[in-house]
Amino acid sequence: MLDTPAQTSVLSLDCAQLTTRELNQRLKALATEGIPAVRILNPEGRHNVAVGLTGPIQVTIEGSIGYYCGGLADGPTLEILGSSGWSLGENLMNGQILVRGNASACAAASAHGGRVIVLGNAGPRAGISLKGATLVVLGNVSYSAAFMMQAGRLIIAGDAGPNLGDSMYQGEIFVGGELTSLGADACETEITDSDWQTLEQELLPWGLDPHSRSFKKIVCAGELYHFKAKDWSKWKDAY
Amino acid sequence: MERRLLNTSQTFTPEAIAAIQESAELGRYSIRGFGAFRNVPRLDDLVFLTATLTRFPLEGYRERCETRTVLGTRFARKPLELSVPITVAGMSFGALSRTAKVALGRAASLVGTSTTTGDGGMLAAEREASAKLVYQCLPSRYGFSPADLKKADAIEIVVGQGAKPGGGGLLLGQKVNQVVAGMRTLPEGVDQRSPCRHPDWIGPDDLRIKIEELREATDWEIPIYVKLGATRVTDDVKLAVKAGADVIVLDGMEGGTAATQSTFQDHVGIPTLPAIVLAVEALKDMDMLGEVQLVVSGGIRSGADVAKALALGADAVSLGTATLVAMGCNKPIYVEDYEKLGTAPYHCHHCHTGLCPVGIATQDEALMARLDVDQATTHVANYLQTLVMEAQSLARACGKSDVHNLEREDLVALTLEASAMARVPLAGTQWVVGQNPL
Repeated sequence: MLDTPAQTSVLSLDCAQLTTRELNQRLKALATEGIPAVRILNPEGRHNVAVGLTGPIQVTIEGSIGYYCGGLADGPTLEILGSSGWSLGENLMNGQILVRGNASACAAASAHGGRVIVLGNAGPRAGISLKGATLVVLGNVSYSAAFMMQAGRLIIAGDAGPNLGDSMYQGEIFVGGELTSLGADACETEITDSDWQTLEQELLPWGLDPHSRSFKKIVCAGELYHFKAKDWSKWKDAY
Repeated sequence: MERRLLNTSQTFTPEAIAAIQESAELGRYSIRGFGAFRNVPRLDDLVFLTATLTRFPLEGYRERCETRTVLGTRFARKPLELSVPITVAGMSFGALSRTAKVALGRAASLVGTSTTTGDGGMLAAEREASAKLVYQCLPSRYGFSPADLKKADAIEIVVGQGAKPGGGGLLLGQKVNQVVAGMRTLPEGVDQRSPCRHPDWIGPDDLRIKIEELREATDWEIPIYVKLGATRVTDDVKLAVKAGADVIVLDGMEGGTAATQSTFQDHVGIPTLPAIVLAVEALKDMDMLGEVQLVVSGGIRSGADVAKALALGADAVSLGTATLVAMGCNKPIYVEDYEKLGTAPYHCHHCHTGLCPVGIATQDEALMARLDVDQATTHVANYLQTLVMEAQSLARACGKSDVHNLEREDLVALTLEASAMARVPLAGTQWVVGQNPL
């Protein structure tokens, strides 16, 4: 499943030889110099790699990575040839992060822009507080995905765990597999032709034809937009 | 009926009866602004033992009493160097008007201190007005951006606030106008409920990694504060220090808010007085006193409060509500507008309505126009300077050439509670309540 990049001439940084501080300093310097691509070797679950990286640099991480990979980044293209720890691409502003394995909890938390793609499964709270980015999960997601989502798009090609879209404000969620349960104020709505086009654009590049799944679209019902006495049971019994 | 014939239940007081009947009519809890109403043991319950024959005072107008304060010396390459031990606390643009935020920034800059953003991102005008700006990283992450992070002089990770530790922020729809909604990525007019947990970390072990992330994103240049609402202070301070905080900001239960369930404000957390003492003891336990700085907030109003907080071991205090009061909150002007809100000057706590009669806690352009930003700036700066001079005069009278040299030994307590909480003797005795026998 792990592709070895063909460009062996690409500059590489070895985590075994560098502290996180040194690694990120080197990455930032290379991005500033306009170096197009870098490989990161022996990541061994290192936390905080490629944090706050700006510019169009392409970074291939040859293994699994720890927390906050690509967090607070703005513009780079990251590819992780393994799995990722918590909060992959948190607060991402722009750019793309591709994980070939699984992503742990809180993938793309509060991400404002850009795209995070998980070819495997994603853990709990994927897309929590999402603020405009697109999160695509080819596999399944665990509980409370898109909790308090504010804007953007979450596409789950597989199954979604309990309380999907709980307390979301805005944005849209697509689920191609089984939906365990919706969270407070999330509701199903009709899927349109333009939604199908979006799904094709987002999924076909990863070898998945959305028409092979029975996608549902979830949005915010807006019933919790204002504190009202009649909503008492919703607030009291909310998950 | 003659007043003396009326009996009042101490359980079902007029206020309790009104609260029950309000809940019965509305079918929901009450949300209000301002902060705790109840009386709690506070810094007022301590007094200074100034110099007489056993200590020599410094001359008030001639001898120097240093006020310089440095925050964030542990890991940051650029600690915050402030002229005074008083900072302006985090209050959001959204809760406050743009002009109020600008006035706070300008006033803080005039006295050489920092101000703080809030739950709604960094306002460009606020950044411009503030020589030193602390950028809050809150659970909601509204408007949080790496570009603004790079403009910040320090980062404050907010775990909780004194008015509602364990609770998330609220901003009722009347304040969520187009600009506020845009900055927070919310639908206009929504009753905004912020999360109480951060989206990307949960416990103290995660926090350690989160702090490293923010340091990496800012190249280890600027300090990282961790703000806690005062509850289990000893453990929380130790965990925050272990997670790598440069500065602990501790907000006692008297701390203010623009909108919170009233049940939170009067029934949650511990007062600022015992909170300071627990935090200082926790830092001492870890041998971190002086290395990790302590900023305390929650109900600080006077130079005496400032001096007492420093004497108990804080490195600085932070003021929120008091700075708003300085610029005109609860001032007896536009009295008819207070009346429309069902309140009166000196009693108003209606920040949550967005109908602030003096144009501070509002997004309404007509009300905002009532706040003269130049005058507000001058008033806040005057007020902060007064606090500094008061604290200096107390420090000099205690014989101290630096306000940070004030110490616990300079204080005694007027009440049993304050003695127990501050660990200083009850006035006129050698007795520290709870520590040594009578």
